[in-house]
Amino acid sequence: MTVLLIAIGNAMRGDDGAAHRVIERLEPAPGVVVRGELQLLPELAPEVARADRVVFIDADVEADEPSIEPLEAGAGAGTPLVHTITPREIVLLAGKLYGFTGRAYLCRLPVADFDRDGLSPAAEAGVEKAVGLLREFIR
Amino acid sequence: MPERIVIQPVTRIEGHAKISIYLDDDGAVSSAQFHVTEFRGFEKLCEGRPFHEMPGLMSRVCGICPVSHILASSKACDNLLGVEVPRTAVQQRRMVNLAQLVQSHALSFFHLSAPDLLLGMDAPPEKRNVFGLVERDAEFARRGIRLRQFGQRIIELVGGKRIHPSWGAPGGVLRAIGEAERDEIRGWIPEALESAEIAIGRLKGVLDSMAIEIEHLGNFPTLFLGLVSPEGGLEYYDGVIRIVDGEGNAVAEGLDPQRYLTYLGEASEEWSFMKFPYYKPLGYPGGKYRVGPLARMNVARFAGTPRADREMHEFKQRSQGAVCESFHYHLARLIEILHAIERIEEITQDPDLLGSNIRARAGQNRNEGIGCSEAPRGTLFHHYQVDDNGLVRSANLLIATSQNNLAMNLAVEQAARYFVSGRSLQEGMLNRVEAAIRCFDPCLSCSTHALGQMPLVVELRDAGGALLDRARRG
Repeated sequence: MTVLLIAIGNAMRGDDGAAHRVIERLEPAPGVVVRGELQLLPELAPEVARADRVVFIDADVEADEPSIEPLEAGAGAGTPLVHTITPREIVLLAGKLYGFTGRAYLCRLPVADFDRDGLSPAAEAGVEKAVGLLREFIR
Repeated sequence: MPERIVIQPVTRIEGHAKISIYLDDDGAVSSAQFHVTEFRGFEKLCEGRPFHEMPGLMSRVCGICPVSHILASSKACDNLLGVEVPRTAVQQRRMVNLAQLVQSHALSFFHLSAPDLLLGMDAPPEKRNVFGLVERDAEFARRGIRLRQFGQRIIELVGGKRIHPSWGAPGGVLRAIGEAERDEIRGWIPEALESAEIAIGRLKGVLDSMAIEIEHLGNFPTLFLGLVSPEGGLEYYDGVIRIVDGEGNAVAEGLDPQRYLTYLGEASEEWSFMKFPYYKPLGYPGGKYRVGPLARMNVARFAGTPRADREMHEFKQRSQGAVCESFHYHLARLIEILHAIERIEEITQDPDLLGSNIRARAGQNRNEGIGCSEAPRGTLFHHYQVDDNGLVRSANLLIATSQNNLAMNLAVEQAARYFVSGRSLQEGMLNRVEAAIRCFDPCLSCSTHALGQMPLVVELRDAGGALLDRARRG
């Protein structure tokens, strides 16, 4: 069983870097691969396809608590691509082009402040809880 | 009463922008503007920073073409040191620059433009995207992804990571590479060459069906500007500036990039954050010029690699003078991918690539440094002035996308005049106007400028277009 954890965000923009802090805090484990990404690009699709389970970890201003939720593949609505693509689109590409049959999840991290150095206390607390959730998920 | 139609946001380009189309009293398009509303101010941010931090800082200008900014910045800093960069570092810099060109152009073609080109401009918008392309031809889409991987992998192998590598530095580079890295790069070459040639064939196969778009999406004479080698061939890292006109005649030869301020000026307009560079001898806006893949095809006499030379020779036959159709940026981009792969293969055959002398060291010897290289979207200049303590007093970045600003606005206006009619916008019209911009593959996050230099005008209009309020900032 291979689990791929993909942290998304810009660590130079305050809470946007929360996902990177999560993967820093997780201990290495057999079968678990972690990736830190500033933005998602299509070439991630083959790597997603090699995993049995993939978790996209991302800062989310609308999240109240950290959570891990199933993620369905899907295209964007009407504005398909800028120079980056979404987790749902990566999963779609992985399935259509590389035969991904695994399961995809989104780990949402509650965040609030992108104009600071480092994480806000609220984001730090969310990271702590998310690390616990992911440890359980991997186990 | 004149009416304004606004298309916002423009999709599938990097950054943020707005297009305004102005109708006259008869409902015909009278003019159009391409506004850039994103503002970043990187030039202001780096004032007071030590110049040796600049390559790292400047890489953060963009997540798509960080290598271009690292290179131009490192070259400006080489200039401040007054050193000759070791050949190993030069070869690394050349290879990574070409790798970035491959990955950036592959993204532009396969993921942003191919849906228009291969599925058709009038395909339903929900299908006219990379996923529609996947449905139509999965193998072609996979090749696009692999080409991007090829470019990104080289950047990772040589630079240490794919985005924002800490690698370029004043005087050279920070990492030597070994046989394992070189051999892995070599292993990618055959497939990459094949994919580039397949893409060129596919695009050439649909050009006849897009004659109207070719004619009306930015087809006009301008100057073209780019670096060329001393012999007049394609050049991306060093060389001299050559400028040709729409007839293909040389307007200027052998210009020193270090003296760019003597022949390039930058104008501002109140309706955009992006500047409007022009060729000074012809004034503003008469000195409009284009940079990037199409310009490079026009200013260079040859590619210097066998496969790209064949394609470039054929490309040049598309016009008796310079190729002026902006639509052909797409084909030029693919020829550049082919050329870049060939050049990368050549560099991997150079034993000096694996040398250990990767950086010339010196203290600061000058107070002003200018670096110039060809980025995927065109010629890029970094210009720093530093004090005696090595702190940056001022910085000026002349970005490729902004150098195409005048031409992009003309292209939008030309497309609007031909494709937009009546008082409502149809999807096919909108897409063609946007497609005029996508020819240039603009990266707007790179191309907005310093605090205080570019006023922002905000206009409040009612549904009839009458001006209700107006504010000016900056």
